[in-house]
Amino acid sequence: MRYIVCVKQVPESNDLKFDPDENKVLKIGVSTIINPFDQFALEQAIKIKNEGDEIIAISIGDAETKSTLMRCLALGADKGILLDDEDFKDSDTFATSNILATAITKIGNYSIIFCGNSSIDTGSSQVGPELASILKIPQVTYVESVENVENGKVKVKAQTDEGYRIIESELPLVIAAIPPSSFQPNIPPLPKILAARKKPFDIWKTEDIEGDQSKFGSNGSVIKIIKLYKPPKREQGIVFTDEPNTAVEKLMELLSKDKVI
Amino acid sequence: MIEFTEEQELIRESVKEFAQKKIAPIALDMEKHKEIPADIIKGMAELGILACTADPAYGGSGLNAVTAGVVAEELAKGDCTGSTCVFYLVQAAWGYLLNKYGTEEAKKEIFPKATSGDWFLGIATTESGGGTDVVGGKTTIKKDGDSFIVNGEKMYISGVREAVTNGGGHITIAHQSPELGSRGMTVFYLPLTAEGITPTYIDDLGREGISCGGFAIDNVKIPKHYILGEENKGFYIIHEGYEYARALIAVICAAAGLKSLENGMNYVKERKVFGKPLAKFQEINFRLAEHYTKLEMLKRLGYEALRAIDLEQEGKGNRFETSKIVAMSKMFASDWACEAINDVIQWQGAFGYSRECPDQAAWRAVRSFSLAEGTREVMKMIVARELLGKELTSYK
Repeated sequence: MRYIVCVKQVPESNDLKFDPDENKVLKIGVSTIINPFDQFALEQAIKIKNEGDEIIAISIGDAETKSTLMRCLALGADKGILLDDEDFKDSDTFATSNILATAITKIGNYSIIFCGNSSIDTGSSQVGPELASILKIPQVTYVESVENVENGKVKVKAQTDEGYRIIESELPLVIAAIPPSSFQPNIPPLPKILAARKKPFDIWKTEDIEGDQSKFGSNGSVIKIIKLYKPPKREQGIVFTDEPNTAVEKLMELLSKDKVI
Repeated sequence: MIEFTEEQELIRESVKEFAQKKIAPIALDMEKHKEIPADIIKGMAELGILACTADPAYGGSGLNAVTAGVVAEELAKGDCTGSTCVFYLVQAAWGYLLNKYGTEEAKKEIFPKATSGDWFLGIATTESGGGTDVVGGKTTIKKDGDSFIVNGEKMYISGVREAVTNGGGHITIAHQSPELGSRGMTVFYLPLTAEGITPTYIDDLGREGISCGGFAIDNVKIPKHYILGEENKGFYIIHEGYEYARALIAVICAAAGLKSLENGMNYVKERKVFGKPLAKFQEINFRLAEHYTKLEMLKRLGYEALRAIDLEQEGKGNRFETSKIVAMSKMFASDWACEAINDVIQWQGAFGYSRECPDQAAWRAVRSFSLAEGTREVMKMIVARELLGKELTSYK
């Protein structure tokens, strides 16, 4: 089986900085991490991997993005592919999905494409579903656990508003994974980091994936960001540190005064 | 300025994640309980940072000195008490020495236990009558057939309880040919579980998660394969271990100080006095700028010292140049970090003086480093010796 995991490098800080002229999230001066949803997706792939299976981590980015893919290799991916080309710059989610789908088609012979359900920077949750649509394969979103892969089918546990659904699907498919609140991402140990550099790593451009430039970057983007800004900072709330009875009394008094109750 | 490799940055990321998520939240508890929790030691082992300078063939990660510095830096930012930093640094530095000079048999016996966190590998050269002046020590080692007999005592040693309770031992130095002074000393590994070892414990001011103590050595028999390098050449060998530890200490002090400044900056930006943030007072922002500059200089010098050690290992360095830059890096490490942290304590008012404040723990930890692994004064002697020549050294 071949599992392909799509990963994104995102800013670490919650205090995102924006370029107001370009309407972009600034990467400079902010340390970056792997999107935690994507690491969870990778760990799901590693969980179901059997002998002879292959996990390929793939990401769109630049030279700095290599470190995120190296982390994937240290965590257990077998190969890394960085999609780095001027053509790919300024892609919205649709163009991003087109780039990934073209590269994944080039890789071929895949059983499951794993994505994080969302990213912690832009958070559109679109890439997984768009990939499935472009590649014309099934998708399951909000997957909290991949239960098993047997006889050409996969069984997953997916979150719903009410609880969970156990879903079975034919392969190949796209799985958009979402970690449970208890998820503790694995930390790559030093010997595996040092061993990661011996694993195969490719950098692909448009011509390597035999792609159509018009579908990538700003040419292939359908979303135009009009304005990117921070929501106003919320004022700090009031904390009552008294004994519980006194604190409740004070809270009731305040709620009543503000006509909340 | 040192540029880190891709692997070093990934290692930094891993250690940072571990230190911030696992150690930082329980750091002050380590001092209350006077120990590093077993799951933290296990985590450090799984991460591959215990005795990380040992060759992978013996279970180590085979890190070079600069990379070992990256690990030290991130631990120091995560552990305000410095306990795990000491636990880490002695095993990295003295593991390096054991890896370089130890026998195959000793390395196969000790490293798998140290890298897995089951044993503690420490350093014990100080005696009640002398520390940095190792020749002033009274401990002796005598040949006894195929074995050696050790007698004496060691004092103010980190990790005594850990080695006595869990297993392991310390790299030690003793006089084998006392009449030859520094040319008659031998370095060896001394298991603290051996018959004839009687430990004592000291209530240290800081880094309280790791024990400090001493031990009497009464006719302790050790096998020949525990000797490091050539007999009677120990004085020169031991200084390589010291230098490794000193350069790591420079980075640790810089990182602890910078972390404390970060705490201080967060505080002075929020805390208002006379209607404006504390940060707007020139008294504070000038001091901040000075401390930051000194600590950044210190960090860079620390990494230069570690790089000098690496270059020497690659056959491109010079023993005396390494000694000099290492001594330069450690000379003011503790002082500069303490000065910065002391100001951060001051900025935070009464909270800064409470046990709840991480910076007071950092101050107590960092204070130890102008003494540990060679005093500030001896660092000056070394630098002056390299500048003026041996004939004008103050200790001869």
